[in-house]
Parts: sequence; C-alpha cells; structure tokens
Amino acid sequence: MNDGRLRPPFPFALLRFWTRQTLPAWCLIAGMIFVFQIAVCGTMHDNERVRALLSLLEMLPSFIKGMFGGDILQPGNTSALIAIGYQHPLVLVLFMVYAVGVPTGLLTGEVQRGTMELLLSRPATKTQVYVCAALPTVVGMFALTLVMFAGTVAGTRLFDFGMPIPLMSFFRTAATGGLMASAVGGVALLAAASFRRRSTAVGLTVAFLVLNHFVFVFAGWWPLLDSLRNVSLFAFVDGVRIFREHAWPLDDMGVLLALLLVAGVAGGIIWQKRDLPL
Amino acid sequence: MPVLDVISLSKRYGPTIGVEDLTFSAEPGEVLGYLGPNGAGKTTTIRCIMGMLAPTSGRTRVFGVDVRPGRATMHDRIGYLPGDFRIWPNLTARRALAVMAAIGGAGRQVRQRCEELATRLELDLDRPVEDLSKGNRQKVGVIFAFQTAPDLLILDEPTGSLDPLIRQVVWDIIREAAHGGATVLLSSHDLAEVAAVCERAAILRKGRLVELASIARIAGEGSHQLKIWFAEGTPVPAPPLDRLPNLRVLHAEGRMLHLAYHGSPDGVLRWAATHSVERISTPQASLEDAFVQYYNGDATAPAQSASPRSSSVNVGVKQE
Repeated sequence: MNDGRLRPPFPFALLRFWTRQTLPAWCLIAGMIFVFQIAVCGTMHDNERVRALLSLLEMLPSFIKGMFGGDILQPGNTSALIAIGYQHPLVLVLFMVYAVGVPTGLLTGEVQRGTMELLLSRPATKTQVYVCAALPTVVGMFALTLVMFAGTVAGTRLFDFGMPIPLMSFFRTAATGGLMASAVGGVALLAAASFRRRSTAVGLTVAFLVLNHFVFVFAGWWPLLDSLRNVSLFAFVDGVRIFREHAWPLDDMGVLLALLLVAGVAGGIIWQKRDLPL
Repeated sequence: MPVLDVISLSKRYGPTIGVEDLTFSAEPGEVLGYLGPNGAGKTTTIRCIMGMLAPTSGRTRVFGVDVRPGRATMHDRIGYLPGDFRIWPNLTARRALAVMAAIGGAGRQVRQRCEELATRLELDLDRPVEDLSKGNRQKVGVIFAFQTAPDLLILDEPTGSLDPLIRQVVWDIIREAAHGGATVLLSSHDLAEVAAVCERAAILRKGRLVELASIARIAGEGSHQLKIWFAEGTPVPAPPLDRLPNLRVLHAEGRMLHLAYHGSPDGVLRWAATHSVERISTPQASLEDAFVQYYNGDATAPAQSASPRSSSVNVGVKQE
C-alpha cells in the first residue's frame, strides 16, 4: 500500500513533458527571430540599402511608417534603424504564434484531445497542471525576447557600424517587449482556462492582440484618437523613450507585469473552479 | 473503514440531473459493480469521486479523506480508467504510460509491472498509440489504471472493445488486485462482466440509485420465474398480487404472463390452475433479467420502495 498524500508534490514530470513538447516550436521561432535580427543589422549596415529602405518607407502612409519607428528613422540614426527588427510584423507574428499557441495547445488542446482527464487522475492538482502550462508560456516568451536581443548583439558584432551601438537600450527594449509578450501569454492562458474549444481561445486572444495593435497604430496616426493610445498594450513598449532616456521604463514594465499577473491568476482561478468539459 | 464513501451525492447541470442523492460505499478488497444505461450518471459519479467535477451537494470520501474538486485527493493511491480512454497518439504506448506514471513519481517497479501487464495483455508497447487498434488502445488504458498497483481502482467500461480472451485476462487482473486488497469500482454495461468479477452491484437509473445488493440477490437468488401461456380464447387474467405478496409480474405479452416469485410456487400454481393453461415454463433468472426489469419499470417505483426488489412492472392486465 502507498502512503497517500493529501497534497501532491509538484508534477515536474508534466512540466518537463510539456516543455519538451513546446521546445521544437520554440527553437524554430527563436531561430527565425535570431537570424532576422542579424539580417536587419546586415541591411542597416549597408548605406545603399538603408537609403532604399527609407525611400520605400517614405512612400507608405504615415501610420505604417509609424509602426516601424516613425520620424526617428533617419539615415544617421543607426539604433532606430536596427530597432526596426523589434517592431517588424514578422517578429510580432512569431511572438503571437508562440504566445497564443502554447497555452491553448497545452490546456485546451489536452482537454480536446481527451488526455486532460488522464492527467487530472494522476497526483497533480488542477492548479499545478495550470502552472505547468503557464511556465513554458511565460518563460518561453521571455526567453524569445532574449534571443531577439542576442540576435542584435550578434549582428552588431558581425557588421561594423563605425559607431558604438547602445546595446543596453536594446536589452531594455527587449526585456520590456518580453514582458509585453508574457502579458499576451497571460491573456492566452486566461482564454485557454475559460473556453472549451481551442479555436475559441485562440480567436479571442488574437482578436485582443489585433485590436490592441490597431488602436495603437491608428491612435498614433489620427490625432482624434490620441487619447486611446495609452489603452493599447503596445504603448507600454516605448522604444523611443527607452533610447532617449537610457533608463528602465519601470512604470510601463509595472503595468505589463500587473496585466500578466492579473490575467494569469484570473485564468488559474477559473481553471480551478470550473468543471472541465472532459 | 470503507475505502470509498459516496454520501448523499448530487450533481446537477443547470436543470438537468446528473446524479441525485447517491449513497453507497465500497470496502477494502471489494469489487463493486456500477450498472446503468447510457446517461444514468455513472461517469458523473466517477468524475465526482475523482474530484474532476464539483458536486452540487453531498460529498465523496476516499480512504477516509473528503474529496475536494481539483485537489487530486489521494490520487497516488487511485488507478483510473476513463470510459473513453485517449492518450497522446504520437507517442509510443511505453512512453505515454511512462510520462503518466512519472507524474505520480513512479519508478522502476512501475516499469516492471507495465511490462508484465503488457505481456499478459499481448500488447506491443513500442508502437505509437495512433497505430494501435481500438482494442489495443483499450489495453493501454488497462495498463494505465493498473501499472501503479493502486489501492483503489475506478474502472469505467474497462473491457468495452476487447476480444473475449483478453476480457478474461482483464477480469483475472481485476480479481487479483482485489485479492491483493485493492478496492475496485467497476462501471459497466456488460452484465456478464459484472456477474463474473463483482460481489455487489449498485444499479443507477436516471441519476438515482435503484439497487445496491449482492450480485446473487440482484440476479434473483431465492426467486424463480414462471412463464404461463393461457389457452386461446381465454382472457389473460391478472394474478392476485394482494393475496400472493411473493409474486411479481415481469412481463405480459399476448397470452403469455412472465412471473417471478420467492419461496413456494404453491400459491401461484393454485391460482393458475383456476384458468385454462396451455403451457408453463420455468426460465432461469439472470442478472440481465433483473437489469432489464429495472429499466422497463416506471421511473420512481424502485427508488421509493423500501426494498427496490419489491417493485413490480406495470403490465396492464386486469386485476381479478
């Protein structure tokens, strides 16, 4: 006979298993982001290409130019040009894929697959199972931003820009972006804990992200909507401010951390309280 | 102390009753059958016991500890086989079982037991689950439930898609676990299975417990059956149930009356002799008869009666 434990130990085996399950996707996305940052450095290193890129941006509507950094994009402003790699739609989409795909795949996916019933029959509480899904999401997102920064570091080592690059500002931008990405992961966790179908959870999180992004872009473009700008999640990753002030944007980071915690904890409570559709 | 205690358990899904006021228990080493048709509430009960559903009222206890929803109460001592067993399809059976076992911190003994069970069930553990037939996936489920040598087994339709030979092996495994002191709650549609391995059975209908007794009693030990065909042209008479309290009408069809009685057939034969009888037969009472009887009856009679066995079916024959 076993002893029988009232409070089971943390299921590290499940955490390991789910981490391994998500690792191939993480590696693929991390690799793409890393290479992309190097490619951005390579592009910005070449003056001819920079001029071509800027003249292309000049032809686009101002709100699209704003998505890449706006008026700070000038031939001499190397940091702003490299930072395009942090705001490029490809990078945002890659982050979104991970932030949305992992928690919904682990929680709602296991429910839909029918394996959640087996997991919950093992000595692991619902909260522990939720934490096992939350950790690869949040840590994975943050690690992706560090990979993005590492790509910039590698790019600035590979290509000589003839001037010092403020890597600490890039690190601050990446870390703040990591917090934002983790907050999106928190929202995805909340959606995954609340809905029975993965498609619903994915759809709602993507809608939340797209809405935030459009509010941010249009508020920057149309003065009438300017007051809405700070409603958007994207307003809390202000690269221009980070590069200008050379300091940690603690207030913005605080808001993002609060959103991550509120969404994550709310998801945990809902997950614990609701009867799962097993 | 009972290993499993279900006390006044009710679960409602909005206005729909999942289960209503269930009370039963299972003792150490007992194999308790849990019978009922689809939608009777068997799976709801099991999920409440496993803490996967929060009861609307009442409670369940395992090993003397109150089950709290989502808290995995005593799950390191429970083996569970859900009715619809599904496990990660892209993994081999061995890997999937190892991951599940590792969540409980299981070690080498579990791996050995897994091998032993796979050998007995004739299952190749190294094939991906998605390549396995339905029956072989069910074998993976059986191994999943038994591999940690649990003290309480909760099995929902364990042999549903297995061939007759392997079913016998699974029944042996269940009996061995019970002989080793484990308690088994066996939910099943398969009456032969329940009759083969259970000492007692609980019968559920529309979320309510209508019977909890030994298999022998449910199957009609001490009761006998009688089929009487009355002569053509003779109206089928209603038996004098008020004068013969040991008699029940199971079924009436055409000129045939199917009766069950306890004790001496003297009274019923005397009554039959007053009519023009063409033929009499004495079929063997079975668990299946009892089961069908519970589900052909009206919804409330068995639950309301002090002894559910005393309920009778409404056959629409006229009283004398």
